[in-house]
Formats: sequence, C-alpha cells, structure tokens
Amino acid sequence: MKKLRILLADDHILMRSGLRALLERQPNLEVVGESENGRETVALAASLKPDVVVMDVGMPVLSGIEATQTIVTQNPTVAVVILSMHADESYVMRALKAGARGYLLKDSAAADLIGAIQAISQGKSFFSPKVSRILAEDYVRVLKQKGAVDTYDLLTSREREILQLLAEGKTNKEVATALNISPYTVETHRSHILQKLNLHNSAELVLYAVRKGIIS
Amino acid sequence: MATLSKLAEQDGEQMTEVKRDQPVASKAPSREWFGSRAALFAGFGTLLILMATVSIDSLYTLEAFETHDTQIRQEFFYREHTLEQVRTGVYESGDIISDYAVIESDSPSQERLRSEFQSIRNGTTASLKACIESLPADKRERFEHLADELERYWLKGDRLLALLATEKKGFGHSALRSDVLSQYAEVLAITREVRAVNDSELKETDRRIAETFAQFRRRLLVFGMIGFSFGLILATTTIVYAGQLEKSLQEKYRESLQAQRELKELSKRLVDAEERERRAISRELHDEVGQSLSALLIDVGNLTEMCSEDAAFRQGLQRIKTLAENCVNEVRNMALLLRPSMLDDLGLVAALDWQARETSKRTGMLVETVDENVSESLPEEYKTCVYRIVQEALNNCSKHAYAKNVRVVVRQESNHLRVSIEDDGKGFDANRVRGLGLVGMNERVSQLGGVLKVESDPAQGTCLRVDLPLPKASDVSGELNS
Repeated sequence: MKKLRILLADDHILMRSGLRALLERQPNLEVVGESENGRETVALAASLKPDVVVMDVGMPVLSGIEATQTIVTQNPTVAVVILSMHADESYVMRALKAGARGYLLKDSAAADLIGAIQAISQGKSFFSPKVSRILAEDYVRVLKQKGAVDTYDLLTSREREILQLLAEGKTNKEVATALNISPYTVETHRSHILQKLNLHNSAELVLYAVRKGIIS
Repeated sequence: MATLSKLAEQDGEQMTEVKRDQPVASKAPSREWFGSRAALFAGFGTLLILMATVSIDSLYTLEAFETHDTQIRQEFFYREHTLEQVRTGVYESGDIISDYAVIESDSPSQERLRSEFQSIRNGTTASLKACIESLPADKRERFEHLADELERYWLKGDRLLALLATEKKGFGHSALRSDVLSQYAEVLAITREVRAVNDSELKETDRRIAETFAQFRRRLLVFGMIGFSFGLILATTTIVYAGQLEKSLQEKYRESLQAQRELKELSKRLVDAEERERRAISRELHDEVGQSLSALLIDVGNLTEMCSEDAAFRQGLQRIKTLAENCVNEVRNMALLLRPSMLDDLGLVAALDWQARETSKRTGMLVETVDENVSESLPEEYKTCVYRIVQEALNNCSKHAYAKNVRVVVRQESNHLRVSIEDDGKGFDANRVRGLGLVGMNERVSQLGGVLKVESDPAQGTCLRVDLPLPKASDVSGELNS
C-alpha cells in the first residue's frame, strides 16, 4: 500500500522532531519534508506535492492560516490539518475558511494526529474532541441564554443526513452518489440547510456541525 | 515581568520626585510676593502721607500769611493815621496861634480859639498816647520822643497864647513866638521822620513777607519735587514689579502647559509600554512556553507508545502528561488574558468575538457583537485601543451595571472607526460619576484624536460611544510596514 506523504510545518524544532518521531512509527506514513515558516511551506507543498500538510498556526513570515489558503488554492488535492494552541472558535472558523480539513490542538496531538491524518486523507473532516466539545458547549450556552429555538429541529431527516455528509467533507457529487440522488437535488438541499440554519458558506456549515456534535 | 515592574518602579520614582519638588517651588514666590506687597503698601502710604502733609502745611502757611499781612497793614494805617492827626493838629494849632495874634483881646472869639486849641491838644495827645500804648515796647521810642516834643510844643503854645492874651502889642512874646515856631517845625520834622520810619518799616515787612513767600514757594517746590520723584520711582517700581509678575506668571503657565504635555506623553508611554510588555509576555508564554510544553506532550506520547510493557513507567508518563496539559492550559489562559493572540493573528473582530464569548461564559451576560466593514489590518494602536475599551466596558457592564444583555457594534467608515457598547444595566448619572476606568478609556481615545461619549441615566442602561478618526490609507500602510 502506498504510504501517505506528509509535510511538517512548525517553527518550533522540538515540536517538529516530536511529530516526526510520532509519525514515523506508523508504517503507512512518511514524512517527506519539514519547513519552519509559512512561505517555505507553500514552496515545499508545491514541489513535494505531499498528501497531507501538518500546519502550525503561528509561524513567522507567513502565518499557517495564510499558507493553508495558498496551498489549498494551488493544490486542491493537498489536505491540510491545522495544529494550534487555540481551542477558540475564531481560529477554527478561520482555519476552515482557509480550506483546512482538520483542526487539532497541540496538547492532544499525540493522541489524535494519526487518526486525523488518516481521516482527512480520505476526504473527511477532523477536529480535536476538545475543540468539538468547547464549540458545542458554547453553542448550547448561547441558545440557552438567548432562549432561542434550536434551528437544527427545523431540518428534515434527509437534510440532517446531507448536512452530516457535507460537514464530513464530501462534495455534492459524493453525497449524491452515497444517497443515490442527483447532485442538483443535493445542491437544493444544501441551500435549504444553509437558509434554515442562517449559515453562509461551507466553512460555517462545518463549524455548525462541529458545534452540534454531528461530526468530530 | 521583571522589566515591567522595573519600569513601573522607575515611573513611580519620577512621580514622587516631581511631587516633592512642587511645594518648595510654590512656597518661595509666595513669601517674595508678600514682601513686595508690603513694600508697595509702605511706598504708596508714604507718598499719600507726604502729599497730605504738604497740603495741610501750605494751607496753614497761607492762612498765617494772610492774617499777619492784614494785621501789619492795619497797624501801619493806624500809626499813619495817628501821625496824620498829629500833623493836622499841629497845623491847626499853628493857625489858631496866628489867628489868636490878630484878633482883639478879651473878645469871645479869643476864648473860643483857646478852647479850640485845648481840644486839639487833648485830642492829639490822647490819640498819640493810645497809639503808643498799642505799640510793642521796641517801637515806642520814636513815638515817645514825638510825644515829648509835641507836649513841649503844646506847653510853649499854651504859654504863648496866655502871653498874647495879656500883652498883645508887646514885644515880650516875640521870643516865645519864635520858640513856638521852632518847636512847631521840630514836631513836624519828627512827625515826618516817624512817618518815614513807619513807611520803611512797612516796606521792610513787605520785603520780609515776599522773602518768606519765596521761601515757602521753594519749600513747596522741593516737596513737590520730592513727591514727584518718589511717585515716579514708586510707579516705575510697580510697573517693573508687575512686569516681573506677569513674566513669572507666563513662565508658570508655560511650565504648567509643559508639565501637562509631559504628563500626557508619560501616560501615553505608560499605556504603550504596558501594552508592549503584555504582548511580549503573552507571545513569550504562548510561543515559547506553550510550544515547548506541547512538544513535551508529543514526546511523552511517543514514549508511552514505545514502552507499553511497564505499568509503573506508564503511570509516571501519564502523570507528566496530565501535568504538562494543565500547564499548557494555564499558560494559554494567562497569555490570552494578557493579550489575546487573535488581536494580532486574526484582527480586531475575532478578538472582540472571543472577548464576548469569554465574558458570556464567565458572567452569564449575553454579549452580542456586530461588525460592519471592519478591516483585518487596522493599525495596531487602533485595534488595541478598541479592544481595551470594549474589555473595560464589558467589565463595567458585569461588575457595576449588572446588565443582562450587551451589544457591541464596531463599524468602519471611510475615515472613521465607530464603536458603541450598549447595555441594559442599571446605568448611572453620566454627568456626575466619572470612574477611573472611564478616565483611562478617555485617555486612550484622546491619544488617537478620538471622542468618547457616555450616555447613561439611572435605570436607563448605558451607551458608550467611541469615534476614532482613521489615518489616511497611505498612513495606514506606513503603520503596517513599520
């Protein structure tokens, strides 16, 4: 079986070596390169064409989020998982908007990274359980404070199904195949979902799914 | 941290030094002013007393002159009059003697002439005597001489008249007659003499009066000159003194303006330094300590994987992992509280959203944020200013206002950044209450040339509005580059 080729981007050398040790114990993973700033990462991603980039957020020259955006735009096949110190929604949202598929907290990287790499290399999303928990807690708290109705109840069971598949990172076409319906129908459902949940784009949709605990 | 506290210490020292200086500086001039004021009082007092004295003296002297002059003239005329009377008496008596010689003896007219002669004699003698008595002792001599001679004349005249009455045609009386005539002439001569003396005395008195008057004038002139000079000196001193006062006042004003500027600059530097330190510490905690701990966690994870056999060893590793995880959380929270990394990584809106969520979580207050057109690349000091103001305001909302809902709106217009923080708390009288927190906010806003407004009334909630003018686009990019 072909090994997953991984690029490590982190300005902290101890972090990189720790990650490398972690990843290289896995027989199906291979670290093909390391970089210590955003610009170098973009360059290496373009030349090495790795399957997965493990990206630190706070890096000099170009931040991890900006680098992610560039890489995903240039090479849509490259999956990026963000490694961050922050469990805050604003970072998660920004990472998702930039095109990252996974969001991991550094303090739980040892436990989650392997699973995350495998998930996103298969086109799924992955979030650290702690991130999912925090986002979900926030969501529930705000709902309670506002005394508002949970918009999730407005969705039909079909829409919930499609929401989950979309949030996992599947394209309209993949969803259509999985559910044996036409991609146009999927698109109609998708716009209904966004409208009902007052969301505006895929990133917000994924974040919503994480908050609701639909995906993790 | 050490740098921060050292900085604070230094600033503290400077502050106390400034305070120590002030009372000394303000005491000295007040004593000086008091001295100068006393001198001015004394000067003007002396001048007034001098003028009053000169005026009273002049009035008194003039009055004395007037009285003296009138008296002297009256006395002169009285003496003159008496002398004139004597002369007339002598002339008239001469006429009587001449008439007496040519009329018949024993006729009634002879008798009449003699009684006339007697009455002239009595009148003249009495007048002269009265005049002599009115004279001071040193001036009597001449008049007494005149009186003696006059008396002799009368005696001789009387004897002649008696002789003429008995032997008119005889020649015995011719000797006596010539004697009477010579006495007559003598008296007239003395009268003239006395008159001349009297006259010259008057002239002398006039001269003396004129001299005294001239003296008085000189004195008045001297006093006037002294008064004038004194006044001139006083006026000059006063003007110079007032000028100095004005100058020192201007100096003081300048100094206080300068001090105000320095204080403003100092407070700006303090705010900047605080922010800089916070960011440095936050970054250090986050990037170095946090990352190292994260790396440590990865390594611990690796170790745990590598030796799965020994249970005690694994337990030890687990403890290290838990400890390190707690440390990471601790460090992350500290760093965020000092200065949220979102402010630098993701911009103002993300940082405000985070702040709102944190406040909601901590206090149960529902904080809603609304942003319109807010650029991610606002200049650093604008981001910090707005963030710190919202932080302080949210703090106030939960701590003092007991608000349930807060709405934070940030709106960027072409050249303005407008922020409003509105709560439904208990409010306060914005015209009277001015807490230290508001003063700090105002300081931050005014440093950027903005305006901060607080609208609040008890039981009406509070609305804080901030309007910051934004620098022109070229300036913004300049800020960003630096």
